[in-house]
Amino acid sequence: MARRRMHKNWALTGTMTLIAMVINLPIILMVLNSFQPTEAIVARLTIIRRDPSLQNYRFLMEETPFLSYLRNSVVTALGATVFSLFCAVFAGYALSRFKNRLLDVYSTGLFAVQMFPIILALIPLFLLFRPLGLIDTPLSVIIVYGVINLPFVTWMARSYFDTIPRELEEAALIDGCGHFGAFFRVVLPLSGPGLAAVSIFAFLLAYNEFFVANVFLRTKAAMTLPVGIQMFLQQFSTDWGSLTAAASVTMLPTLILFLFVQKFITHGAIAGGVKG
Amino acid sequence: MTASLVKQTAWRSSARQFLTPDLRMTLLLLLPSLILMFVVIGYPMIQGFWYSFTNGSLLKAGKFVGLRNYGKLLTDPSFWHALRFSLYFAVANIVGCYSLGLGLALLLQKDFPGRGLFRVLLLLPWIVPSLVAIVSWRWMINDDKALFNQIIVFFGGDPVYFLSSSNWTIAMVIVIKIWRSFPFMLLSLLAALQTIDRTLYEAADIDGATKWQSFRHVTMPAISGISVVLCLLMTVWTVNDFDTPWLLAQGGPANATENLVVLAYRYTFARNDVGMGAAVSFVTLAILMVIFTVVLRLQREKR
Repeated sequence: MARRRMHKNWALTGTMTLIAMVINLPIILMVLNSFQPTEAIVARLTIIRRDPSLQNYRFLMEETPFLSYLRNSVVTALGATVFSLFCAVFAGYALSRFKNRLLDVYSTGLFAVQMFPIILALIPLFLLFRPLGLIDTPLSVIIVYGVINLPFVTWMARSYFDTIPRELEEAALIDGCGHFGAFFRVVLPLSGPGLAAVSIFAFLLAYNEFFVANVFLRTKAAMTLPVGIQMFLQQFSTDWGSLTAAASVTMLPTLILFLFVQKFITHGAIAGGVKG
Repeated sequence: MTASLVKQTAWRSSARQFLTPDLRMTLLLLLPSLILMFVVIGYPMIQGFWYSFTNGSLLKAGKFVGLRNYGKLLTDPSFWHALRFSLYFAVANIVGCYSLGLGLALLLQKDFPGRGLFRVLLLLPWIVPSLVAIVSWRWMINDDKALFNQIIVFFGGDPVYFLSSSNWTIAMVIVIKIWRSFPFMLLSLLAALQTIDRTLYEAADIDGATKWQSFRHVTMPAISGISVVLCLLMTVWTVNDFDTPWLLAQGGPANATENLVVLAYRYTFARNDVGMGAAVSFVTLAILMVIFTVVLRLQREKR
């Protein structure tokens, strides 16, 4: 009986392997293609060929502004992470420790931000940023990402603070610490691992983002990876070798970071829901 | 003089009463977020509302034109098309990603070797950047020799031009959107399924319920609340989706895959008509708010 059940479960593993393969097929094929010259990809003779080469990747690094896009992406994503984390840590702490009408209103507001059609803010912001010289600078995108990330990052930060017992702060307060002292000296050091996971999520959201960057970053020197590669897609839509290579390299940091934080994700997704 | 001083102190003390230490601390902690939300959402929203009544361009501020922009929208066939497409898109995506997500969640809930790994693998379409998703899909549907067409031809069909026929492009935008968003449903439904009390299933089993009956009478009632919320979230995100229709086909062919957001973007940044762009965005917001209120009210009445 037990053996039969084990048997059945392996059958389920087989089914799931098949499902996972089919679902991820576009990604798998894209990565495989990136090691082939464009002529071979377009000819589509077989899927796995015998002579993989790094030619597309070399072309990407040497002949295109790919590295500059990558640098811009990292700068904006880091900036957005620091920015949203700074705001979310305080707000998340307030949500975790206090209960009052102001916080109820704030929670509703946060939920509204999560649902807000960002196009509505982009048009006035574009007109506001241009005279300030912010268009085509990372700062314009960082500010907007700060808000887009805010709900998710706040909810996640809050859920970590919830796991830290109040008694610790109360002890610090009795010992003569102020509220802020207790927060900085007791709560923050203890929530290090949680905040690291939150930062990685904030980084991922900003790194993946296309729409806002597409509106604000219009010159080649300022573009992030998604916007830059979109230009490839419009201009050289037949150069599948470079396109698939560019998309594969873009995906790599996302995948690596995701593997680090995937076990936290259920929590965060339920707490607020990530945009997507 | 003294009267105003008395008034002032009275106001101060009432303010102090109102602002309890807790409330003051809360306000201080929320301050950075509140400022950010005001600068990026609050102020632009007010400004945008004003723009929707003007005829400005990206280069110069316009004059007040009253309701002319909204009137123009009502007679603009591309607006009605975008509205219809946005709603179809949302409904199709919800049906697709809810059924796919629930089906896979029910499978992943079972105990089998490698379950943790599959939970991660099935989330990949959701976490890759939208651009990567589109590049990977486009290769499969690009031309008459693309993978999908090879399969169609293999089974004796004629190649389909996925990106030049309106209906096929619409279908592909929907398929890709489902592919990109089902993992969120999967993840959230899986978490909801895991909170259901096991003994309920045992009780149903003892009462002789079939698998379908226990799904219908135990599982569904337990996840119906969260399902409504998830579908609502997904509606909003689909209506607000710019990446999928724009990156796949730039709203084309013609304007077949132009939803409200793409239309607002086009009006503002391609046709340089800020007033119309702002008007379309506001209509989008209004529609979302109506859907939201109606669904939440219906749900409350059901209880």
